[in-house]
Amino acid sequence: MFKFVPYVLKSLWRHRARTLLTVSGTAVALLVFCFIGSVQQGLLALTSDAGADRTLIVFQENRFCPQSSRLPQDYGSTIAKMSGVRDVVPIKVFTNNCRASLDAIVFQGMPPEKLTTARDLSLTSGSMGAFAQQDDAALVGADVATRRGLAEGDKFTIGDTSVVVRGVFQSSVAAENNLIYTHLEFLQRARGANDVGTVTQLEVHLADGVDPDHVAKQIDQEFRSGPVATTTRTKGMFQADTLGDLAELIGFVHWLGYACVGLVLSLVATTTVMSVQDRIKEHAVLQTLGLRPLRVFRLVLIESVVLSTLGGILGVVGSILILSSTGMSVAAEGVTIAFEPSTVLAIQGLLVSLAVGILAGLAPGWHASRTDIVPALRHA
Amino acid sequence: MSLVDVLNVTKEYANGEETIRPLDGVSLSIDEGDYLSLMGASGSGKSTLLNLIAGIDQATSGEINVAGTEITKLSRGKLADWRAAHIGYVFQTHNLIPVLTAYENVELPLLLLPMSAAERRKRVEIAMEAVDLTSRASHYPRQMSGGQEQRVGIARAIVANPTVVVADEPTGSLDDETTEQILQLLSRVNDELGMTLLMVTHDADAGKRAKRQIRLERGRLMENGNETTSTHLRTA
Repeated sequence: MFKFVPYVLKSLWRHRARTLLTVSGTAVALLVFCFIGSVQQGLLALTSDAGADRTLIVFQENRFCPQSSRLPQDYGSTIAKMSGVRDVVPIKVFTNNCRASLDAIVFQGMPPEKLTTARDLSLTSGSMGAFAQQDDAALVGADVATRRGLAEGDKFTIGDTSVVVRGVFQSSVAAENNLIYTHLEFLQRARGANDVGTVTQLEVHLADGVDPDHVAKQIDQEFRSGPVATTTRTKGMFQADTLGDLAELIGFVHWLGYACVGLVLSLVATTTVMSVQDRIKEHAVLQTLGLRPLRVFRLVLIESVVLSTLGGILGVVGSILILSSTGMSVAAEGVTIAFEPSTVLAIQGLLVSLAVGILAGLAPGWHASRTDIVPALRHA
Repeated sequence: MSLVDVLNVTKEYANGEETIRPLDGVSLSIDEGDYLSLMGASGSGKSTLLNLIAGIDQATSGEINVAGTEITKLSRGKLADWRAAHIGYVFQTHNLIPVLTAYENVELPLLLLPMSAAERRKRVEIAMEAVDLTSRASHYPRQMSGGQEQRVGIARAIVANPTVVVADEPTGSLDDETTEQILQLLSRVNDELGMTLLMVTHDADAGKRAKRQIRLERGRLMENGNETTSTHLRTA
């Protein structure tokens, strides 16, 4: 069968404009498909990663935007004494945009000594020591650094908040790479405010084997009659609730992914049908020379698969390159969904393009193989 | 026993409500090494008979045996394999594959046969040399004249050393000078390579080059004024 591959490739090259248009159309559709897939993967990772069930987020009751949640910081010491609680991290969150945004900047202020224990960060530049020693120091996630062109030593200002970059980190949790960590106190005093003693949320790390729902209920009961009532959920649930509207939108957008697949199917099928119609006589000549109908069918199928797979490879590689070089993300209410490029997504994209190529070639291939030779030889 | 035996073959096809019968119970035998020309008026059915013998069309009734194979009973797939091994087809309009060079066009039938690349190369070179087109091996059909294209078509037809070479109006689209070259080449294919050749033509002069001349008249085959028969005797 491989003996005929040069013939297939030359046939595609004969109508190079048509071939290139089909390949580029397929590439664009697969690029969009991978983009949509990466957002879905980012959302999935956020709500189902290993820490999502073992960590609780304590937030002010009936509040959603980080700016509106103001919890007494000393709630932390009460929670830390509860059974099954391993650690409590007080966090002040500041974001420049509470609504859904592709370029939201999210600061999380926490005690430097807690940062090293609560987060799995590896610094690609700078040092934790330099961060700990400077009040207005910040550790910047790799994706924010890429997006904003930040490097160690740079000063970075959002609104009235200015920080000095003392390190750029890479986290195993993709969403973390879109955060900027500062000292808790710095963020409490930022923008002329005096919020010392209040935090946005408390992050409660549980010991192994503890029922998170039980501890969450216990925390909310404890503060029900206090100055500020709380809502406590697992981190996964908190992020899912916070991103509720966005998650619905992303859920809808996955239909666009299917539409992209349909687009590739119709594009490749149209090109293959046109190619077969152009070469009715040529296929009859090949059959006269002794090509079995099944072989003609396979030639058409290979043509279709080459078109879609070539477009698929370009689209997948393009999307991976764009996603990994731009560090894109979407954030809402201080929670960030990273557009996660992954090997699984790349393989999915390639498999989709392969399957679509096969599907698109079936009908034209069947038609080419069943055409009667003599009438086809008379075809102009 | 003859190489090709056509036994009481009828071919009918519908044209609207009318049934057309270009071949009406024709029989014919062709011996190994024969060179036959098949003549007749336009639409008389000569190309139909050639296509039946070449295995690219199906008879309505009757039998066709070629080199001991009853091709009327073969499936489409097996018929394709059989054509690859036994038939060399020269078309009127050359029908070269435009994206392939002369060399690749000639090589095409060999790709279907179990053969090493070295053997293929050797056979293609011999065939290209036989039609005197070695210097044009890397040219594409669009870069060649009609006569050169037809010579490549002949090289493609003979390269697999087929049992029968069939030529459907091989000079139909050529000028006089080129027609003469092609007819000489076909005679050489028969004389020097010993290949059995069946040529359909409407040109009486071209037809006379063949060793046997057969006419198709009103669905019947005539040779030297008599209706042809098959030497292959069969019991019903």
